Amino acid sequence: MPEILAPAGSLDKLKVAILYGANAVYVGGQKFGLRTAAENFTLDELREGVVFAHQRKAKVYVVLNSFLHDKDLAELPEFVRFLDEINVDAVIVSDLGVVRTVREHSKIDVHISTQASTLNVEAAKLWKNMGATRIVLGREVSVKEAGKIKREAGIEIEMFIHGSMCMAYSGNCVISNFTQGRDSNRGGCAHSCRFEYSLDFGLDTEEKKKAYFMSSKDLEGLRILPEFISEEIDSLKVEGRMKSHLYAGTMSKVYSEAIGYYQEHGNFLSDKMQEWELELSKVSHRAYTEASLVEPAGDDSIFNERENHQGNEWQMVGSVVEASEKGGIIIEVRNAFNQGDYLEVIPFTGNAFTLNTQEIMDLSLSAVTRTRPSTLIRLPYQKNIEVHNLVRARGLK
Amino acid sequence: MKYVSFANSLHDLSILKNEGHDEVILGHRDYSRFGKLDDEAFFELSTRARELSMRVVFEWDILMTENVFEKLSTRLESFTSQVDIMRVQDPGALEWTLKKTSFPIQFVAENANRNLSSLQGWCEYIGSRLNRLVLSIELARTTLKEFIEKLDVPCELLGFGRILLFYTPRNLLSPLESSQKVSFNEELSALGESEESPHRGFPIIENRHGTFMFHIKEFCLLEFREDLAQMGLSHFRVDLRWQDLALIQDLDNLKENYPQDLMKGFFLVNKTDVLFPKLKNSRLQKREGNYIGEVIESEKSKHLAILVKHPDGIKKGSEIRILHPKEEEFFVKIHWLKDSSLQEVDHLPQNSLALIPFVGGVWVKSQIFTV
Repeated sequence: MPEILAPAGSLDKLKVAILYGANAVYVGGQKFGLRTAAENFTLDELREGVVFAHQRKAKVYVVLNSFLHDKDLAELPEFVRFLDEINVDAVIVSDLGVVRTVREHSKIDVHISTQASTLNVEAAKLWKNMGATRIVLGREVSVKEAGKIKREAGIEIEMFIHGSMCMAYSGNCVISNFTQGRDSNRGGCAHSCRFEYSLDFGLDTEEKKKAYFMSSKDLEGLRILPEFISEEIDSLKVEGRMKSHLYAGTMSKVYSEAIGYYQEHGNFLSDKMQEWELELSKVSHRAYTEASLVEPAGDDSIFNERENHQGNEWQMVGSVVEASEKGGIIIEVRNAFNQGDYLEVIPFTGNAFTLNTQEIMDLSLSAVTRTRPSTLIRLPYQKNIEVHNLVRARGLK
Repeated sequence: MKYVSFANSLHDLSILKNEGHDEVILGHRDYSRFGKLDDEAFFELSTRARELSMRVVFEWDILMTENVFEKLSTRLESFTSQVDIMRVQDPGALEWTLKKTSFPIQFVAENANRNLSSLQGWCEYIGSRLNRLVLSIELARTTLKEFIEKLDVPCELLGFGRILLFYTPRNLLSPLESSQKVSFNEELSALGESEESPHRGFPIIENRHGTFMFHIKEFCLLEFREDLAQMGLSHFRVDLRWQDLALIQDLDNLKENYPQDLMKGFFLVNKTDVLFPKLKNSRLQKREGNYIGEVIESEKSKHLAILVKHPDGIKKGSEIRILHPKEEEFFVKIHWLKDSSLQEVDHLPQNSLALIPFVGGVWVKSQIFTV
């Protein structure tokens, strides 16, 4: 069965993703990745994250997928030796110079990033010859093609199953470089593809067409899971290191439960599919597309709309900081809610359930009728609630 | 330093020959991103080029998913008798050419490949079959000079022509322009602009390979030709595929007469990473070593609640430094320490919730460090 590989933009998100079922997470250090603005991991946090993951039989991959210049590359060996020392499971690399550096200074497995746009059998063979152990295929490759690449190149294959998508072949867009002075392939992408453009087709009419013509819908491959499995794809990746705890948790839970269901039943003939889809719809997202997973992405894969994400009616209320019979349930509140509001706890396994909000106290045991963001509240103890559980609600005011 | 360019007609070939070119890049429309030549035109031009003693460079620079790759590589044999050099960009095309043919190879390393080790890696992998490396225009002059000196292979650089910003296999224009139904052999073009960008008039092309967007200005290093030659650049590429190739006959005055605005790009300096420190939240970069944790509640006159991250936990009586999100610092002693049940304790371990006395001016997300 393929592993579910979740994004972890911080140590907290790593824990959330793994506790909710991810088999592996990918994370970034303070340099060398493509998410410059993300919180990312300090060295101490990387060390702790790897221990946390390995204790739960999960893996940690570290992104080194910037197009590094020589001055960046000079700092890489020390970091790579550190990653080797703390037993990181693999690094994700898009540049041959980085592949060479990693192999020279460590024994860490090398995964070729989707930034390298590896799209065919011969390209996979080339990277295998260079010492790569896994290819993260470009998002233009179908699952069937991926199966062929795996069989004929004889290398592990990872594919994106969910999340935001570059419209361009990954690593082949330099709009930010030349228009904003920010290297998109070193973490400075300004998301120019999400802008609205006026297009002049040179016709006689003076009217220009306005469109978000370079913006892609978000990938969602839940219903294609049987194909991923039958083609023996090794790893299914969820995009989104910049996204929320709720996103990391929900994606990890839905996809790992779906894989688990298939392992047990050998099919997806169940109402569970609709439940999983409903769960995915509760997380903020653009309209979904299967993009090129089955056929090359067509017109309907373009998200020709302003960025008004769907699923926003469901919000993350907070996360559980402590849970004990003695002290009750302590929640770090992110979005305010009122006494008596309908809230759901998302358990690590099983269905979401109602959180009793009739009796809310602050940490000092004073009664609260309306909570505030960035505060802690205490609720009476409820069974089956654990630290790091996420709490969500719909239509909060 | 030699010049190299593209030809789409017999007339183009004559121009290049007259300019002293000893090779020509031919773009077949199935293999080249902007290739115009069908089979017949390719054979006609390649035959003529050889008659003119010009080497024929077959441009295979599209990126290909497996299904496309399989079809194209199978068909490629029908062209090989007319080809002297293969010019590839997709690593799959490189691997295939390396293993299935004996052609010299021009490898287009314009994408990624910003460090010397990477370029040296390609040189080692391709070995004696490497005819030329095509370098990125994002390499600044000093870097180019160093790389050209250290690489033991001829190098080529775009010297004049459009700057490609974006390449997708998806058709992005035709869904918007139904009045111009585009056939497989045709090209659709538009000029784009966005209110969110100060630039106006990005040329955009849709063809059988997808959609491409270019910079509003074209790239020009004509005034640096002597400099580049002294560096040891082997080939200076002039790309006039969207203009009249006859312009190549007067390169010295091309800049003055050219209908498009021109730019040097990053040739003098590439500072596309200088803004990165501003994109980072500097506060979040300081969590190494003596970092205890973060304030997750600040309850006036009552307490600060801290989520303890340090493996040694937190101790009553210790001196701490509190770093406010706005970088203001507070130094305090922990006079009392309570757990989440409000019980006073002397020590709390990692991952627990710790309450300490309230400190005026300290907000949520302040960071706590040992002193």
